[in-house]
Amino acid sequence: MNSDFVLTVCPFCGCGCQLYLQVMDGQVTGVVPCKTDEMSEGKPCIKGRNAADFINHPDRLKSPLIKQSGKFEPISWEEALDIVAKRLIVTKEKYGPDSIGILSSAKCTNEENFVVMKFARTVIGTNNIDHCARLCHAPTVVGLAKAFGSGAMTNSVPEIEHADCIFVIGSNTTEQHPLVSLRVMRAKEKGAKLIVADPRRTPLVDFADIYLPHKPGTDAALLNGLMHIITREGLEDRDFIRERTEGFEALEKKLKEYPPEKVCQITGVSKALLEKAAKAYGRAERGSILYGMGITQHTTGTENVLCIANLAMLTGNVGREFTGVNPLRGQNNVQGACDMGALPNVFSGYQPVVDSKARDKFEKAWGTKLSPTPGLRATEMTEAAIDRAVRAMYIVGENPALSDADINHVKKSLSSLDFLVVQDIFLSEVAEFAHVVLPACSFAEKEGTFTATDRRVQRVRKAMEPVGDSKPDWVIVSELAKRMGATDFSYASSREIMEEIVSLTPIYAGISYERLDKGEIVSWPCPSKDHPGTRFLHKDAFTRGKGQFLVVDFKEPAELPDAEYPFILTTGRLMFQFHTGTMTRRIPRLERELPTGYVEINPKDAKKLSISQGDMVKVQSRRGEIRIRALVTEEILPGVVFIPFHFAECAANVLTSRYLDPEAKIAELKVCAVKICKE
Amino acid sequence: MKKENGNGKVGAVLVVGGGIGGIQAALDLAESGYYVYLVEKSPSIGGVMAQLDKTFPTNDCSMCILSPKLVEAGRHLNIQLITNAELEEVSGQEGCFKVKILQRPRYIDVSKCTGCGLCAQSDVSNLKEREEEIWVDRILIDEAKCVQCGECALACREENKENHAMTNVSLERRKLTELLPEQQEGKGRETLSQRVSLMDEESRKKFWQAELSRCIKCFGCRDVCPVWIYDGSELDDAEWIKPGEIPPSVPLFQVIRAYRVANLCVNCGMCEEACGMDIPLRTIHQLMWRQSPESIFEVIPGIDEKTKRRLIKRVKERPLIRPELRK
Repeated sequence: MNSDFVLTVCPFCGCGCQLYLQVMDGQVTGVVPCKTDEMSEGKPCIKGRNAADFINHPDRLKSPLIKQSGKFEPISWEEALDIVAKRLIVTKEKYGPDSIGILSSAKCTNEENFVVMKFARTVIGTNNIDHCARLCHAPTVVGLAKAFGSGAMTNSVPEIEHADCIFVIGSNTTEQHPLVSLRVMRAKEKGAKLIVADPRRTPLVDFADIYLPHKPGTDAALLNGLMHIITREGLEDRDFIRERTEGFEALEKKLKEYPPEKVCQITGVSKALLEKAAKAYGRAERGSILYGMGITQHTTGTENVLCIANLAMLTGNVGREFTGVNPLRGQNNVQGACDMGALPNVFSGYQPVVDSKARDKFEKAWGTKLSPTPGLRATEMTEAAIDRAVRAMYIVGENPALSDADINHVKKSLSSLDFLVVQDIFLSEVAEFAHVVLPACSFAEKEGTFTATDRRVQRVRKAMEPVGDSKPDWVIVSELAKRMGATDFSYASSREIMEEIVSLTPIYAGISYERLDKGEIVSWPCPSKDHPGTRFLHKDAFTRGKGQFLVVDFKEPAELPDAEYPFILTTGRLMFQFHTGTMTRRIPRLERELPTGYVEINPKDAKKLSISQGDMVKVQSRRGEIRIRALVTEEILPGVVFIPFHFAECAANVLTSRYLDPEAKIAELKVCAVKICKE
Repeated sequence: MKKENGNGKVGAVLVVGGGIGGIQAALDLAESGYYVYLVEKSPSIGGVMAQLDKTFPTNDCSMCILSPKLVEAGRHLNIQLITNAELEEVSGQEGCFKVKILQRPRYIDVSKCTGCGLCAQSDVSNLKEREEEIWVDRILIDEAKCVQCGECALACREENKENHAMTNVSLERRKLTELLPEQQEGKGRETLSQRVSLMDEESRKKFWQAELSRCIKCFGCRDVCPVWIYDGSELDDAEWIKPGEIPPSVPLFQVIRAYRVANLCVNCGMCEEACGMDIPLRTIHQLMWRQSPESIFEVIPGIDEKTKRRLIKRVKERPLIRPELRK
């Protein structure tokens, strides 16, 4: 018997906990926490502890599949790749490169995202590449880039422990980033003030000093209101504003329009609480802001992010240790996928495609002409497919048929495609629409790196041989590229890809497998081999030079409740499942905890509709309806209902609207109008 | 008795181990004129025989044989008892050995102790029913079990104001709990188990309520526990703990876990180390250590009578692993 422990990174949330996979005779049998890991300290959450259980699940795709008369039949790799290559070439020749859309994956390694990005830009010749950041932190990438010049978490997670005031808004930290909430608790133990703003009474609220239950979609008003009080009380950091920022005057003028009375009326939060919260954050020496989807998944997502940046700069709580603006990224490698340029407007390291200098560099390195126009975003691809502007799609490890807003519309769009390739480890909801399905490897079967939410680049290591005939994503894409005539996709290992990334991406320039294998913790930007990495950004100057205050006005969500659809629906995740549940719903212990979804409804509303605990109800919006069990709870505000989006059988996204943020093109997943009736 | 002869040889003997064999050897040697050092690891001599009822083959009462010898060994002028001590090192040769002995602290001055026994009866924390499982006795405060509440030392002082036998260490610690935080500076710190043990029921309930509502139900405390052998327990049973709830039923979840391992717990502290939310789980086991498993209901109060009875009954019915629930 051979046994081994392989150090790798948890495949779920953005915390990026390192774990050991226990390997017996070439099979992964379990997870052992890693006590020396800085992030988890040997205390991963329930998802991490059970991360090994889906790897050998019988549902794993073991060979390529092709759809023939509505049914999937296994075929050989040779045939499958030939078909895909042929169809993509035909589509490209007939309708042009921009008729192909590519979705990369935040679950894949940096190397794989880079290869997919390169494949899209060189082999296909389009900038139509995106990934699920479009559904989570696209507004952060856009918004923080505007305000600070860099769209990532400014400080590292362990620093949160030493903050003296933590402001959590729109993040159910305890359930979604358990190891971050551990830091919040520790800070609290040391005497830090905790402010939580959320329409749902999340588990963190029980520990909050100040709880602001604002109505969904009123974040900008709330934040402007807080800033109004801070400036009125003279708690702003004048020195910081003068030396490090610009555009404050305009903001100051705008803030006058948000007195507590007005904000109270818009948000539903009492004046006293607003005053208390503003003073607590304004007086803090080391104030840290944590935020999540509650801020970004709105038509005003980018503006909400700007408000947060304004608040941090106003009080000088950025660019120092233990402070910062900290967007908590949801996926294990969503930060990395953004860094690698799996976005329609930038190459790796956020080098814009419109910038001719950057384009020159990449054209020289790859020896081909690159398109200068930014491509379609994921949400736009859906529309383009219906308009027949996009004819074929290549989806790597994403599940838009459950995660995107208004999935009936998404499904219509998917079925109107001429050709759809899905590359995944399981036959997900979107794979049902595919013409060809390619089996990929899970995190345990490949080498690479993941970048955690706080820009920490960590090694993923191979623990076992691929299941069945599956292959790592980068191998599949490289082979496909070769079949389509590309010459520089002959990578021997993921290490070689990393070397290419490093040579083309200044923020990753100092990162190498040797450094990571030595156990170094390297957070980008890391411009050279002897650079230790950057734990917190914007130390002496912002990435863009001066911090930019941008004026934001409160705008109502796109779809508000009315007489016909009287409730606001807000969606989100729960502790025991992850996203569309492709992996977690195959882990017995997690499935036991949370086998299906529910709709949270306030007792007052439930009484009005004579709904009692556990009743089956019908939830309808203008776009669709679902049947779901009711959970009557005080944890949600009256007039608001909450549905987790993990479950295909009662998918919240059947109901959500596809109104988009004008800049980041994120759908308003957090607010839409619904009606509820008892069955 | 002269311990040293003129020729450099020593007329004294070291006997290691204070069981019946060691005692008899010591007595025989002492009677034949040697000075005997009797070293024993535990706090008192007597060993296993003191725990037996009858002895083979005569069926004699074992204490009837042992106790006169205990008294004799204790009072013999040629025997020096060194209990609560261990032999660390032996050097030299026959006739002149040098030994190094590690003497562990008792926190009690045996010469001053009057044997009143009040320390052992003192109401250490508010936990009752500890007649059988005491961690403080006339002869020793057991470091591993003591929560440093200071009750025993107080009792000793009360009985014998001038010449008390018990150490001041735990009493000093106790005084700390009454100081303001800024006054505690540089004086050592009050331990958590001390603080919890001194709480009244209501504040203890509140304390655990606050600590346990942080739980994120990762099952880490259970998964790492080296003595958890019960598969498919109440923790996985929807009748007891509702699935999918964060935090899981407070404090029932933790009470069940601690109750299930109480008898077997080795106080390794892995549960606390594994806890993703820094809940001081080890304190629970320190307070329950060597007590009946039911003491959990006092360590973590707040379980109603009905549930308590249900749980006790359930554990009696299903004491160990249920094979049909094993994966």
